[in-house]
Amino acid sequence: MSQDYTRFSLNQRLQHIFMFVPFIILVLTGFPIKFPESEFWSFVLAAAGGIENTRLVHRIAAAVMILDFAFHIIYVFYNLIKNRPSLADMHLIPNKRDGQNIIQNMKYFLFLSDERPRFHKFSYIEKFDYWAVFWGMFIMAGSGVILWFPVLFSKFLPGIVIQIAYVAHSDEAMLALLAIIIWHFYNVHFNPRIWPANKVWFKGTLTEEEMEHEHPLELEEIKAREEASK
Amino acid sequence: MPATIYRPSIFLVLVLFLLTAISVTAQQADAENCNLCHGLTLLGISTTADGLRSFEVTSDGYNHSTHRNVICRDCHTDINVFPHPEDVASVECYKACHITKPFALTGYSHAEQFDAHAISAHGFNPEYSDEKNEAKPDCKYCHSNTFRNVIKDEALEKSTEHCVRCHEGEGLAGVILHVSSHSGHRTAEASIDVVELCSSCHADQGHMKQFDVNLTQVEGYERHFHGKALKRGMNEVANCMDCHRNHLNLPADDPNSSIHPNNIQQTCSSNSYCHTDATAKFAVAAIHSEPTTQNNPIIFYVEWGFIILTAGTMALLFAHIFLDFGRWVGDIWMRRRGK
Repeated sequence: MSQDYTRFSLNQRLQHIFMFVPFIILVLTGFPIKFPESEFWSFVLAAAGGIENTRLVHRIAAAVMILDFAFHIIYVFYNLIKNRPSLADMHLIPNKRDGQNIIQNMKYFLFLSDERPRFHKFSYIEKFDYWAVFWGMFIMAGSGVILWFPVLFSKFLPGIVIQIAYVAHSDEAMLALLAIIIWHFYNVHFNPRIWPANKVWFKGTLTEEEMEHEHPLELEEIKAREEASK
Repeated sequence: MPATIYRPSIFLVLVLFLLTAISVTAQQADAENCNLCHGLTLLGISTTADGLRSFEVTSDGYNHSTHRNVICRDCHTDINVFPHPEDVASVECYKACHITKPFALTGYSHAEQFDAHAISAHGFNPEYSDEKNEAKPDCKYCHSNTFRNVIKDEALEKSTEHCVRCHEGEGLAGVILHVSSHSGHRTAEASIDVVELCSSCHADQGHMKQFDVNLTQVEGYERHFHGKALKRGMNEVANCMDCHRNHLNLPADDPNSSIHPNNIQQTCSSNSYCHTDATAKFAVAAIHSEPTTQNNPIIFYVEWGFIILTAGTMALLFAHIFLDFGRWVGDIWMRRRGK
């Protein structure tokens, strides 16, 4: 009998939605200023109602995204305190197995082995995605808030910080956009084994076959636990 | 039936009145009837020095120019006899004319602006060669006072936006709007036009090399938020004149300069629509520099750090994607071969 396994709770799926909807809006309202002469971004800017509108929309979307991130941090700490997981149960922390998995995956890619690495709840690919966003949030939100209130921040930070914020906001935005449309989109959309989309962000569950294929170690652990509790 | 007799005559009076009214406004500027001759299309001379030189003043253009209410001899003061002498002094913008200043009874002149320009970086420098002095902009370079027929509404709107952003709340908005709607001819430039005007020299590195100035000013402005947002239609950002003043453009090392380190904070915060209560630390932010290891090493290395981080990350991610895709293609190929 095949059953579905919960991968993301409704709470987690909503966190993802409240992250990516503002992300798209921030890109569409931010990049026209990064590239002020681009025809393509001119079109986007006009469609979004011109710079007077997009400046406001950008700030609203930023506020939503920052609140979502703040909620996530609280959520993480709440769960750490409530469940007191062991390090092995903190599945997003990079560990030795990730190194082994990378080597095994390289062997697999290069036809040196026909065995795919066996991933637990999160593969190193997914961990990279998570921590990239985590780092990106600090850079983007930090620099963005400084640029939002530059005069205020100059009261207690040296002037160079505002300049760094300006450069960092623009350059990290590019890195974030590339990481999402190249790395994340390949792994959840364009990868021919996945195409057209991995629907787990919406459904929240994986089938037994999907678990067997993508997260065999996790499946093993779940089954062992079920066995033990019988 | 007396009514039928009067009706056509009232109509005639009205037409005559309207015609007179139109011609009065047209003639007001040309009280001395200069356009009797200067309105002629082919009026001009041919000299060995100047080649062909036209003296035509198109009446239509003149009537719509900023100076349409200034009689010709107010500026062309040397021309007192007819026929005119061959050599006449050129027009000097500092001379007072018969126009009175708004709200004052004194004769109007551009002396204040002329004097400011004279001591500014754009003024005559006795240490420079004639050639170098001539390479600087004079009044007419920026204030071409081009005879424009009809100003575009769009351009006028931009101009008034620029006025209103300062004068709003001072009760002057109405006056400014009124004046500019009547004389919206290069009196108040839209910010984007100011930048274009200044860039016509300052972006030309070949031209600017002869002077001791920062050659990447325009590039620096365009890299920064002010320049980028202005290109995207945000008219309230600072244009060149907002920080560098309009006539008294002085180099940063001059203590009277608006961009001297002692004054820059005041400059950033001087306008209600700008960075009010800007701090000294805020004001030192270099908004023009192309960062180098010398002038701004921190920003230089931050920028390079991001370039290396981005390129490095993308190289690794692309390699991973490429290999992953390669395995998928390889599997299909092997399956077909195996069958």
